[in-house]
Amino acid sequence: MNRRMLVATTALLALVVMLAGFPPGSAAQGKVVKIGLSLPLTGSDADGADAILKGAQMAITEINGKGGVAGYKLEAMVFDSATPAAGQYDPAQAATNYKKFIADSLVMAAVGPVMSGEGKAISPILSEADMATITPSSTNPDITDPKLQAQYRPKGKAVYFRTVTTDAFQGPNMANYLFHAQKVKSVYVLDDGGAFGVGIADSFQKRAGELGVKILGRDRLDPKEADYKTILTKIKGLNPDALYYGGVMQAAAKLAPQSYEVVPRVIKAGSDGVYDLSWPKQSGKEAVDGWFCSQASPELVTSPKLEAWVTKFKKEMKRDPTNYAITSYDAVLVIADAVERTVKANKPITRTNLRDAIQATKLGSIQGPIAFDANGDILTRTVSIYQWRDGEIKYVSVAPEK
Amino acid sequence: MSTLDVLVQQVVNGLALGMMYALLALGFTMVYGIIELINFSHFSVFMTGTFVGLVVLELMGVTAVSKSLTGFALVSTLVVLFLATMTTTGLLGVLIERICLRSLRHVAGTAPMITTIGVAFILINAMLLIWGPQAQRFPQLLPNWRWAVGAAEITFKQVVLFVVGLVLMLALSHLVQRTTLGKAMRATAQDADAARMMGIDVDRVVVLTFFLGSALAGAGSLFFGLYYGFTGYYIGYTTGLRAFTSAVLGGIGSIPGAVLGGIFIGLTQSLGGQLLGVKWTDVIIFSLLIVVMVFRPNGLLGARIPQRA
Repeated sequence: MNRRMLVATTALLALVVMLAGFPPGSAAQGKVVKIGLSLPLTGSDADGADAILKGAQMAITEINGKGGVAGYKLEAMVFDSATPAAGQYDPAQAATNYKKFIADSLVMAAVGPVMSGEGKAISPILSEADMATITPSSTNPDITDPKLQAQYRPKGKAVYFRTVTTDAFQGPNMANYLFHAQKVKSVYVLDDGGAFGVGIADSFQKRAGELGVKILGRDRLDPKEADYKTILTKIKGLNPDALYYGGVMQAAAKLAPQSYEVVPRVIKAGSDGVYDLSWPKQSGKEAVDGWFCSQASPELVTSPKLEAWVTKFKKEMKRDPTNYAITSYDAVLVIADAVERTVKANKPITRTNLRDAIQATKLGSIQGPIAFDANGDILTRTVSIYQWRDGEIKYVSVAPEK
Repeated sequence: MSTLDVLVQQVVNGLALGMMYALLALGFTMVYGIIELINFSHFSVFMTGTFVGLVVLELMGVTAVSKSLTGFALVSTLVVLFLATMTTTGLLGVLIERICLRSLRHVAGTAPMITTIGVAFILINAMLLIWGPQAQRFPQLLPNWRWAVGAAEITFKQVVLFVVGLVLMLALSHLVQRTTLGKAMRATAQDADAARMMGIDVDRVVVLTFFLGSALAGAGSLFFGLYYGFTGYYIGYTTGLRAFTSAVLGGIGSIPGAVLGGIFIGLTQSLGGQLLGVKWTDVIIFSLLIVVMVFRPNGLLGARIPQRA
């Protein structure tokens, strides 16, 4: 190849690249709105992520079955955000996935992430691209905290919307529940070192302290470590009423059997991180029994209003739904609603316009009314408490807010 | 529980943990002693061993939901389980040596060591593909018997772990110190070329070393499964790294050193977790390693400075 041809080829390539990346999402390209879904589909939290994925897919199939929304078909673009090296979600992989979404000019919004650790990594990326994501499950409050705006949304506008409430309520309300309903007077707090785990354990511990519950200690589990007997023996020596674990499944899978062996009589509680239908399979039914966990949403799966939905989900998706499958379904409805309103207002479908429309959402969804504050947090702030009994998750009550 | 009882309990926990590290450290130390190779695939052989154990148990009809066994059924199941798993992991070690390492034996530098890292990843990903990324439950065939020592308690699992571990280590020590094969191994360790001139089949010695080291890793993996009740493709790394540290701490190449190092690390882990917090576990272990290395560069029992001609 001579020099002139090399220059010409390079110029041509540059032109192609520019054209491919510009303009982001002109409506002429086949009338499709792609929704990015980045979820930890492998690893310890795979079961929860699978339910969330299927909730979103069900909504997309239903909407397309009715001919789409305002002339647009919805299309899912699905990536796994877990890596074999991590054995669970990997924030770096989530960031890579979201960069791929942004590189695809048809991706207008996203549903996800599942984990707050991913959320912290992707929120600034979304802010740069002015693209909204709606998380059906990640609850760490830092990401949407206006005080941390410079870190998580440098461009200012909210891009991280939630169809669940945050750990500003989930952690403290579990503390309220343990104090009022279980008469817990002393507690030992553990976390798994992840963004979500540390955050929720902090907020739980703070509220428990305010209630006058004695905090006997705080330590951190390495999710890759096998031996938790050391810390559990230490806890046994302190003789607490309860043990609180802030974190997700990788450490929980080992914490449950070992705590069943070392401290069988202590009340044990976790968060939505251990609301995972595969837990008894991972750790053994008897080890999981008695554990409390929570959801940053109202109880939906057993709600009579959702009976038809649940039946349909079970039949079509061939698995049991979770509450976050429903909040994920709702996340897609929010995007579809935003597309519809944008088209009605005669605005082009762009990431910015869609973000603005999502911000203005007033939707009566299957979980109840959805509207967001200026930071992207849902206005409904219900936290529900559950307990594992005989290998199944049973709804207990709404967690007390005080 | 009083503070003393808690400390006693942590010592018991630490000894059990240390025994597992020691079994794994032996494999590192033996291979290093013979061919001066740090064999990182050992981590993964250990991990693979837990899955081999799962399969062996399944073939015998024991699954994660089975009740624990007692009496003759327990003893016979354990004997079959240990023999089958140790033989399989031993053969896996031989296979790794034959396919991946023998042709690199005389390559200087880090190439053979890097190869072992590659093998480690192959095994990790193979197990990931076969078993998936979630933790697998390991059948709890040992009954939950406990004995009280004050307010602390010793479990039957810990006793089995300790007794079987000790028996295996004594057998190994007998083999190395008292048999012809052991003599050949020691000769090869001292000077492979001279050993060959004396008529020792060095290749055979190396193969046997890999077999023995990997078989001990297999025993270690069964301890892991029976003691913790789970396994996963990622367990080799943390446990393996600590076992490797044990071998270095005790003096790499020294068999009693590996055992001492393992128990030392096990106790450090449990007492450090008790006194400071488990989030500092690795900081404590590796700080101690650095301190020992500064004052005794050859480890606690490694008197011989490796001399290269």
